[in-house]
Amino acid sequence: MNGKSLQKSAMSRREFLSLSALGLGVSLAGTQPSPSPAPRSASPDELAILYDPVKCVGCRACQMACKRWNKLPAESTDPLHIYESPQGLSAITWNIIRLKRTDTGWHFFNYQCMHCTDAACVEVCPTGALYHDPRGFVGLNRDLCNGCGYCTQFCPYGVPHLQTTNILTGEAKSAKCTFCQDRIQSGIGGPSCAEACPVGALVWGKRGDLLEKARARVTELQSQGLNARIYGENEAGGLHRLSILLDAPEQYGLPAVPKTPGFARAWQRVIQPLGNVAFGATIVGILGAFLIARRNIRMEEVR
Amino acid sequence: MTVQIKGRPEAITIQWIPKYTLLERFGHWMHTASFVPLAITGMVLYFPFLQPLAQGAAGEFFRLVHRVAAVIFGALPIIYFIFQPRRLIMNIREFLPSKEDIGWLKAAPAYYLFGRHEAMPPQGRFNAGEKLNGLIMIVAWVVFGLTGLPMWFGKGIIPPEIFRWLVLFHDLAMIASVCMFLVHLYLAVAHPLMWAALVSMRFGVTSADYAAEHHAKWYYGPKRAMEIYEARKREAAQKGH
Repeated sequence: MNGKSLQKSAMSRREFLSLSALGLGVSLAGTQPSPSPAPRSASPDELAILYDPVKCVGCRACQMACKRWNKLPAESTDPLHIYESPQGLSAITWNIIRLKRTDTGWHFFNYQCMHCTDAACVEVCPTGALYHDPRGFVGLNRDLCNGCGYCTQFCPYGVPHLQTTNILTGEAKSAKCTFCQDRIQSGIGGPSCAEACPVGALVWGKRGDLLEKARARVTELQSQGLNARIYGENEAGGLHRLSILLDAPEQYGLPAVPKTPGFARAWQRVIQPLGNVAFGATIVGILGAFLIARRNIRMEEVR
Repeated sequence: MTVQIKGRPEAITIQWIPKYTLLERFGHWMHTASFVPLAITGMVLYFPFLQPLAQGAAGEFFRLVHRVAAVIFGALPIIYFIFQPRRLIMNIREFLPSKEDIGWLKAAPAYYLFGRHEAMPPQGRFNAGEKLNGLIMIVAWVVFGLTGLPMWFGKGIIPPEIFRWLVLFHDLAMIASVCMFLVHLYLAVAHPLMWAALVSMRFGVTSADYAAEHHAKWYYGPKRAMEIYEARKREAAQKGH
């Protein structure tokens, strides 16, 4: 009787040990390090474009230069072909002059990729096709793109567009302004839009210099009684397309606070790691259960 | 049918009773054959370390596989509903929770790890674990469809604010169903006590003894099953004293 109870307690200790080993395995699987990227901030030496809507005359030379350099076909928007002008950004229009009537009058606004420091598109891109160039801008390597379209859904400015060739198979390529990455990388010159601007409304250069220039210009415009401000100094970690605005950002169709990277991060840095913890715990749990069950269950006793 | 098992002196007789129809077994294996490629091709976009497989032509190939498999995965329950609607509704009803399920889940670790079955409350045609698997797979099928189809055909039409939630819920359904699938795979393929599972899914029958042991409410009916369960509990309590 005594021996039997001893055996019984030894048995339950073994059970206890194997169960706690299982628990330990599960918790170890849960403690994988979560990626914590160093906070990026735009350096003054990085390249940027500055847009001044007061100087802009709306000639659309930037639009044309962009199409020409990037070999983008024309877009037909008028069935009578009398006045054709793209209505907004698309897979074949990466730079556009928007004309907007507001309470304070007509506003020109050159719209293109804002080249965020904290770019949602780079964050969500699963292929690495969208990347931060060390010179500051957000480039796009189309050979790596598989057309998943996450960038088109997460950009707070609605910039990337998919060039879809087949809706059924989903064959597509992302397209957006690349700061004329090929011109910059091969040293030909600056972005074609800024090079083409005849009135100096679009200029390119080092971000620090452009910010200084923008501040001086804002002071000058304010002294003329205009409600001038800089957009892009701190938005989304600092944009590499700086703008001078004469009104609230919303009047130009720009978000006052571009929020999207927060959602992208919640998805990729919280839900996905949690999923990995769930996968790890499941696999470790199954392996543990397999080893314990194999020792304890005798097939001869199974009905 | 008589079989001789190694390690047992006497041959044992197995009485087989029907459990699954041919369409159910076909559906089950087609579900497997579509779920596994869907999971693998989807993970290409999910795991950062698989990035090289997501790039360019490779990524496009995986998307094509994902979409072909998705059509099969989506169509299977609809085919089942068209040909055997009564069986489908019966099965969904049997997946619904009953009051013994909590007791079963509590007793399950001792049973699955150490083979002790005394505390297991009687179960219907599906036990609580199978119900959990079935319900998660049904919910996942609905979520995959409701999020996957708009992601396929609605890109550029659906506002990005909604699209982001679709991506998120597609991921959540994948995490839940893949975890459940792994447990299901282990129990069906590698767990010694679940030897009848693969037989049932291949030939559509289960052993009468296995059914009496694991699905007493189905085999004996709820009343008789509870009587046997209570008697077994009394016996175990007497032994314990």
